[in-house]
Amino acid sequence: MVVSNFRPLMNVPDLVRTLFSEETAVAVAILVLFLGAVVGYLIWRFTRSMLEQAGVPEAVEGTVFERTLQNIGLSTVGLVAQLAAIFVYALAIFIALQTAQVIDPTQFWTGFSAYLSQLFIAALAIIVGLILGDKASLAVSERLRSIKLPQISILAPIVKYSIFYVAALVALGQLGVATMALLVLLGVYVFGVLFLGGLAFKHLLAAGAAGIYLLLTEPYSIGDEIEIGDRRGVVQEIDMFVTHVENDDAEFIVPNQRVFQSGVTRFR
Amino acid sequence: MSQIDDVMGRLTADIDAVFLFAPSDSLFAELAEEETVVVVGAENGPGAERFVELPLDFTAIGDRVRFGVEGALEKEYVVEADDILCLGETYADELDTAVRVRAGEFTESGVYDLFVNSRAEPGVIRNVLEVAVELGKKGQKGKPVGALFVVGDAGKVMNKSRPLSYNPFEKSHVHVGDPIVNVMLKEFSRLDGAFVISDSGKIVSAYRYLEPSAEGVDIPKGLGARHMAAGAVTRDTNATAIVLSESDGLVRAFKGGELILEIDPEEY
Repeated sequence: MVVSNFRPLMNVPDLVRTLFSEETAVAVAILVLFLGAVVGYLIWRFTRSMLEQAGVPEAVEGTVFERTLQNIGLSTVGLVAQLAAIFVYALAIFIALQTAQVIDPTQFWTGFSAYLSQLFIAALAIIVGLILGDKASLAVSERLRSIKLPQISILAPIVKYSIFYVAALVALGQLGVATMALLVLLGVYVFGVLFLGGLAFKHLLAAGAAGIYLLLTEPYSIGDEIEIGDRRGVVQEIDMFVTHVENDDAEFIVPNQRVFQSGVTRFR
Repeated sequence: MSQIDDVMGRLTADIDAVFLFAPSDSLFAELAEEETVVVVGAENGPGAERFVELPLDFTAIGDRVRFGVEGALEKEYVVEADDILCLGETYADELDTAVRVRAGEFTESGVYDLFVNSRAEPGVIRNVLEVAVELGKKGQKGKPVGALFVVGDAGKVMNKSRPLSYNPFEKSHVHVGDPIVNVMLKEFSRLDGAFVISDSGKIVSAYRYLEPSAEGVDIPKGLGARHMAAGAVTRDTNATAIVLSESDGLVRAFKGGELILEIDPEEY
């Protein structure tokens, strides 16, 4: 699709050469160069202000990618804007060279401008992937901070590298590298996460869903005497996954989905 | 000089264990080669094998020693006949105090028991104590207030009490220790009646009138109805009660019908 968008651009040199003489073509080439410089600058300005308007600098603040860039005196917004500008410059130079017939319009060079746009999108995908991955892992670890389990802490890196992987896949796909094997790997991975994860957490998810209902509507509350299944006692605690029911002999920890499976009896 | 060394020598002669209240890693490593070292503190800095966690930042070294010794006895790091050398900090932020104590010297006050072996989680009891202390320091709009928190065994406590008015915490799912809660508890402390808090720290209700039987509750004479209710409810249930006295401003903790701990908020 990207390639077809740039077809008309590639016909510009041919069109110019059929319309004008050799000398005029050179003049037009210089004009194209000049126009390219101006448009490139405008694009740079526009991208920059647009990204700043959209609040991108605040969003990427503190990510590893942004910090690395800052160490070498750049910023994410600046980099993206510059990439866009460089893309326009390169395209202008290319068209100018072709118009002036400095280079031969061979197969390689005609593919070049299309390739240029793909390169740009690939670079963009990598940048977005790096930042998104970092952000997502930060958000996940923040959400899970209260759960002090070593097993939980691997979740954030998994999310991060999953996003990196997808970003790399998009970038490689743009560059035309055969990504079939990687795609299959991704498929297997997603299947594993969704299917096996769902299987493993089936009961926990059911209990959590029931728990949300129970916490929101509170059909019974702490201190009520209830019976769930054949477990009868006073409610001591209700949380997301379980209800603690206690009688004189024992404390039952009843998974919340039992409430929906067998219903609750309240005693007055 | 030799007399002083003599005195110090007598202090450290034949000790069975060293209690470090200000653990620096190097000191711990030095001592651990020869002696049984127990680290007592808010956190286990040197990663010692024997560790007693201090739930409160006791200012007086006496309280700290007492808590540490009771904890160590409970965990069987020492036996009652053991002589212990306690090294800690009283005035400076470095090691400046040495206390020699026999482990069995205290009649067991149950301070350690209060935190670690209560029904409610230790962190919850600590949070409630902190709220009570803060309330005691500042009062409500400059005037001294009283408050009664019943922590743990909430199901039973709810069955042994009745509402004085509508429960402001109904369906609200707030936990002690959440930053917003302190202000809320402060506001609600002007209501009469007790706060009921569950094992995991959820504030179940405010405005409760406790009606346990007060038979056989032995609390110091002169304490008011609030303390009597606190003592009685802890004797009837497995809860812990934390009371802020309106008249003398002290925070007291009751368990099993007995006064366990007394803190002056001003010193804390």
